[in-house]
Amino acid sequence: MKRKIAVAAALAASMLAAAACSSSSGGDGGTVSADKTVDGKGKTIKVWLMVDAQSGWKSVVDDASKRFTDATGANVTVEYQQWANVLTKLDASLAGTDVPDVVELGNTQFSKYVDAGAFAEVKKDTFENSATWLPGLSGACEVDGKTFCVPYYAGARVLIYRKDLFEKAGITAAPKTYEDFLAAADKVQAANKDPKFGAVYMPGRYWYAAMSWVKASGGDIAKKEGDKWVGQLSSPASQEGLNKWVELVKKYSKADVTKDEADQYLVFSQANAGMFYGNGWELGSAEQVRKDPNDPNSALVDTKVKGKLAAAPMPGIPSLLGGSNVGVPVKSQNTELAAQWIKHFTDSTSMKGLIKASALPNATALLDAAATDNPALAVGAEAAKNSWAVPASGKWADVEKASVLQNMLSDILTGKKSVADAAKAADEQIAATLNG
Amino acid sequence: MHAVDTPPTRATGAPGGPGGPGSTRPGARRRKRRNPESSRLPWLLAAPALLLLAALLAYPMGRMVVLSFQNMQLRELWSGAAPPWVGLDQYTKVLGDSVFWAVVGRTVLFTVVSVTLTVLIGLMIALLMRRVHKAVRMAMIVAMMFVWALPALVQAQAFKMMTDSNIGVLNYLIDKLPGVEFQNHSWFFTPAQGWIVITACVLWAGIPFLAITLNAGLTQVPKELLEAATVDGANAWQSFRNITIPILKPLLVIVTTLSVIWNFGLFTQNWVLRDGKPEPEFQTLATYSYLQAFAQNKYSLGSAIAVITVILLLGAMAVYIRQMFKIGEVD
Repeated sequence: MKRKIAVAAALAASMLAAAACSSSSGGDGGTVSADKTVDGKGKTIKVWLMVDAQSGWKSVVDDASKRFTDATGANVTVEYQQWANVLTKLDASLAGTDVPDVVELGNTQFSKYVDAGAFAEVKKDTFENSATWLPGLSGACEVDGKTFCVPYYAGARVLIYRKDLFEKAGITAAPKTYEDFLAAADKVQAANKDPKFGAVYMPGRYWYAAMSWVKASGGDIAKKEGDKWVGQLSSPASQEGLNKWVELVKKYSKADVTKDEADQYLVFSQANAGMFYGNGWELGSAEQVRKDPNDPNSALVDTKVKGKLAAAPMPGIPSLLGGSNVGVPVKSQNTELAAQWIKHFTDSTSMKGLIKASALPNATALLDAAATDNPALAVGAEAAKNSWAVPASGKWADVEKASVLQNMLSDILTGKKSVADAAKAADEQIAATLNG
Repeated sequence: MHAVDTPPTRATGAPGGPGGPGSTRPGARRRKRRNPESSRLPWLLAAPALLLLAALLAYPMGRMVVLSFQNMQLRELWSGAAPPWVGLDQYTKVLGDSVFWAVVGRTVLFTVVSVTLTVLIGLMIALLMRRVHKAVRMAMIVAMMFVWALPALVQAQAFKMMTDSNIGVLNYLIDKLPGVEFQNHSWFFTPAQGWIVITACVLWAGIPFLAITLNAGLTQVPKELLEAATVDGANAWQSFRNITIPILKPLLVIVTTLSVIWNFGLFTQNWVLRDGKPEPEFQTLATYSYLQAFAQNKYSLGSAIAVITVILLLGAMAVYIRQMFKIGEVD
């Protein structure tokens, strides 16, 4: 009964909104287009972005919002979300009527929501650089030639290392092969006797890393055979990759095996490790932190590793192309305005800002320019060209949310299960989830 | 021996003796005065509270039970379409799952251990409070009030930071002990150590309420009885066992019951300490049900687990609830 009332109220509200401003009710047959002039005076759109934007490139967000306000007259409220609970929060919001107008989700999470029809179709060619969007990002947006979200930024994982410790250990150049990398780890470990020191910081539940090692050995997470998904982690190639990664963790890492990578740049900034595997922008995050972590506007403070870090491609390890897309929920009442905001937020001006903040732009056309504008990005741009993606299933987000891969890694590293047993158990869970 | 045996009969008799005949008399009076008007009045007075309870508890509980017989997923949630009925499917799925039973076992074990420890330590602190100087007692109460006033989320977050393997103060301090190598020690490497941290967090938060309540209860133990027992030659343990405990029993039953209810529903502590992604060995019924419902979007399955949890809890509490009703009758 309550639901019916809520639905009725929502209907009434959306009809009122449509009556009040006819331009805000859908464009070309339900497709939202961003090339119209929209008068949004007196309106406010609600934007959900992830915390990375707040800690990494808040000025880009503010600038895009300002240009949006100048063009449309509408205001913007940006609410920064945490990765840990954004999906749960989004599910609850979409069930109600007070939905955000723009939502950012990770590229591995988007398929599920596009599959379930949560996002409005957008007119692709009304967004800048849409012809050369990174396929690793836009893949999650596009279904049967229709586009439901817009790529926002990408991240490729690279090797971030301490220049000073490399010099001290007599290493002159960044490693070029995986063997070089292991040799460097040996030397750095030998030159630092502190029991707290680990040559490589690699937390145990860092599944993006472990799966990259699996891919490097020719393994895979899951494959579609006919119309069924089959887990591939227990294949010999995958197990070889897992073993290689586990060996690395056990030999060189002093990181907590029960932690994930969320705070790795913070731990690394304590100067207790020689290298870590992270997103390009984590280099900057490790060198400088906010004086008050709860206040994104507080001053930046140098950490112990300020000026001592450098990045290089992780040799022999293909990177998962991470990143985010932004979309407009179908239930949004300001779809046209939302599309306008996205247009400003993903245009070349905004992308230039992202490049400055060491995030990869959303289109291949901008990758090379990015490498020249920001040398720190050259490595990431290179890594992005050698990247992999998670299984293309609308249910993949459920595998992530059930922490299947993290639990597998914990089980192996705490000695609860052998690599073979843990991989077999994970395969079964992944198949059950993807086929479920 | 006989001298020692006397006080218990007097002790248990003391509240029961005058209470026995006293309780029948008002009861008889009540029965005599029962007319339509006076029997309606209590309901009228309780109506606001009952209505509030119905709105806040009965409605969501009812929705949850209904949901557990359906199959509600994301599509139904967003579109508002009526989810299909599936009968007992969700229940057979849950009850046939070995993971579920492992979670039940873990939750029960945690409840037994944590409640036993909370009540024992709470009682010991309460007894200590009767012994110390008034100023010290005041200081203890104030300190415990502060602990009590802290939200569980904040407590758990503080424990998470203290036990952090890299920057935690606990590892730092233990490492300072001569000959102990404790840097980068992971407290959640083994389930046993992890559960010690979680239990410690729960105890820390739970003890103040018990200690303060039981301290209040202890003030009700008549000094004359204890003095008489001492005169009769009872030692401290005997007077405690035979005088204090029987008088404290109604209160003990209530605080134990409450602790069982609170700890059986453990969520915040293990959730926060494991960063919102508890490993299978740190799952309790509450987190398991939550993850099924809200992470996997199997809302109906999660509801079924929640309903089973309530039934399990009621089963375990039946004894206690009966005891509470008995206490009510005696009064």
